[in-house]
Amino acid sequence: MAKQTHAMICPKCGAEMNHHADKLVDPVTPEDRKHVNAALGGVIEETHCCPGCGGLASRREA
Amino acid sequence: MTNARPLNIPVILGTTRKGRMSAHAARFMVNQLAKREGITTELIDIAKLPLPIDDAGEGIRDAEFSAKMAAADALVIVTPEYNHSFPGLLKHILDSCLKEYIHKAAGIVGVSAGPFGGVRAIQDFLPVIRELGLVNIFWDVNFGNVASVFDETGKLLDQAFVKRADKFLNELVWMAKTLRYGRDNISID
Repeated sequence: MAKQTHAMICPKCGAEMNHHADKLVDPVTPEDRKHVNAALGGVIEETHCCPGCGGLASRREA
Repeated sequence: MTNARPLNIPVILGTTRKGRMSAHAARFMVNQLAKREGITTELIDIAKLPLPIDDAGEGIRDAEFSAKMAAADALVIVTPEYNHSFPGLLKHILDSCLKEYIHKAAGIVGVSAGPFGGVRAIQDFLPVIRELGLVNIFWDVNFGNVASVFDETGKLLDQAFVKRADKFLNELVWMAKTLRYGRDNISID
């Protein structure tokens, strides 16, 4: 599994977001199971926050 | 730390039971929050949310509830104690979101008909709060013997709860500000 290195852009205001958390979640769907990090035993959900408007967004580690 | 956005701290009323005394506690907490400058709040009554029981987790995510959680900087969760724990429907609705909660503050208000003020429900709740990515504060508000704390109209009969709520909210606001700064500015990488 590779960490995504490009910053997320806030869907509300267009500012660059801050990647502040990685949450390990259990795979639920078949798509999730394709992205399981074997070393960690789950899927990494990256959480990003916008310092401009407070918006949040997330994405799965690719 | 400068951030002009007001802190958004909704209060979740975590029971759907008819005649719930927790509604008085939740409205009291909303009123205490509304007196503070720089804070927006609202009551989120889980009895007014769509709560399908033929699925669970993100499968029942409600767009409006999700948006409110995403916009929140902290949560006040008002839970009664039913059979020594918190209501299942409260967990059912909280489980419908995840990313919305991460690195946000949570304070728990316990309510009980008996003397213990929901302490057993709160103790049960802490692992759930942690797993959802919320950060729990070390103050609670415990409305024990709740029928003697509020009258039937919701009027507060014991003024000591004003001071207790104030201490609880001071800690919650501090944690909310700190975590917002972290979310906005400090990278996990």
